[in-house]
Amino acid sequence: MKATWIQPDGSQTTLDVTAGTSLMEAATTRSVSGIIGECGGNLSCATCHVFVDPAWFAKTGEVGGFEGQMLDLAEADREPTSRLSCQIRMTAALDGIVLRVPEV
Amino acid sequence: MTIWVPTDDGHADLGSHDTFLNGSPLNTFARLRTEDPLCWCDWTGGAGYWSVTRHADILALNGKPDLLSSARGIRMEDQSYEEYLARRTFQETDPPEHMQTRVKVARAFSKNVVADFEEQIRALCVEILDTTLPMGTFDATKAIARELPMRMLGRILGTPDEDLPWLVAKGDALIANSDPDFTTHVLDKMTTEEFRMMPFNSPAGAELFVYAKDLMARKAARGDTSGVLNLIMAPGPDGSVMPEHEFRNFFCLLVAAGNDTTRYSIAAGLQALAHQPELLGQIQSGAVDDTLADEIIRWATPALYFRRTATRDFDMHGKTVRQGDKVLYWFVSGNRDDTAFDDPMRVNLARTPNKHLSFGQGGPHLCLGMWLARLEVRVLFQELAKRIRSIEPAGAQKFLRSNFVGGIKSLPVTVTLQ
Repeated sequence: MKATWIQPDGSQTTLDVTAGTSLMEAATTRSVSGIIGECGGNLSCATCHVFVDPAWFAKTGEVGGFEGQMLDLAEADREPTSRLSCQIRMTAALDGIVLRVPEV
Repeated sequence: MTIWVPTDDGHADLGSHDTFLNGSPLNTFARLRTEDPLCWCDWTGGAGYWSVTRHADILALNGKPDLLSSARGIRMEDQSYEEYLARRTFQETDPPEHMQTRVKVARAFSKNVVADFEEQIRALCVEILDTTLPMGTFDATKAIARELPMRMLGRILGTPDEDLPWLVAKGDALIANSDPDFTTHVLDKMTTEEFRMMPFNSPAGAELFVYAKDLMARKAARGDTSGVLNLIMAPGPDGSVMPEHEFRNFFCLLVAAGNDTTRYSIAAGLQALAHQPELLGQIQSGAVDDTLADEIIRWATPALYFRRTATRDFDMHGKTVRQGDKVLYWFVSGNRDDTAFDDPMRVNLARTPNKHLSFGQGGPHLCLGMWLARLEVRVLFQELAKRIRSIEPAGAQKFLRSNFVGGIKSLPVTVTLQ
């Protein structure tokens, strides 16, 4: 399954992501620029903030309560399709998902 | 030139504070990473513990708070359940309880909130450096490293400047509670029974409790609702407010943890500059502004370890960790692991990526103050580099007597001004 990260300058990275892997993990193990994930996916840092492409947003599920509060503290301003990518796990339904990396 | 060479014989007692008087026993950690990465250590001070020393293992375990809990204490000392309850902060909780407090306090330390402090920090750095550097030879820990985080803490808490030396002395007594230079109640050398309900088993905790309460009352009396403390006490989205005892414990945590760690990061950075002369030029070139702080903080690793407790049996490296066993993540060892860092015993201010573990990366307890620490370190070294031509050692450095906080408590240096 594939996921694509679009950088603020328009450059794109498409990676194979196995089912169950979080999109933060997928990005950090391949050093996608702008995705840091310092707390290892424990909702404590907001450094894996992404804007999900609106066409995909609904499929990523609900924004959790703590996730929402941490998104408010992210470096780039929160947008309607903001998520912490550590909270999105790859599934067949998300094959092809497109994420924008915030400009900071 | 080498910054510093460990002198331990490879078999140091990690449970002994005295071991760390010569700096961290990095030969022992190197041996453990190779030969025994999950090492059972007997301890004279209480129940033995497991030492985890490899970078990859610390990262993997730190991300599993359900298996390795913070809710039985975070230092190697054993605590009764009632002591734990009385003394704990959100450092000693697990998800999801940890998040309930964390989202309240995180508001005050987000990257954006902290970025607004840059101008204040720079002004403090200028003041400190312009007073200190003309002396030529001085103790860099006392004159520089101790001063910046202390004064910044005052700005953050909204305390009067004249209270700061007292506050910092109390913070030192808490966190450096195994070093006789910082406390009259040395943790492992006398009974601290009557203080066991206090943070860090220390009477300084009791005094800070009173101070925190008075400070908030004084602020309330003059209608002052600014600053970090009020932000933390504001109701969360669900309307809940931090209970008073938790606030007072958190205040102690701020005074202790927010101070020493940045101090000893700056001290370690100054130590590195004094022994690797090329570093000063790199900072002066402006090429390492984005990376220097993390490398200095890797080199420093002020929080040498944090402890967790196994919630169930698990196997690793051919051994079985039992439910209830204490497990220590030795960040200081992970940060010198040559499978994660190229040439780890050299400071490389351009190191990228720099996946150091000094802030507890990979787990829910990632340092709340990490953005502030990075900012203070970056600005201090930028301002220092603008002012000096050289910095050299001017005598023997002294390390803190602690296996928990790694720090150079005395660092004589000589500088020449530009």
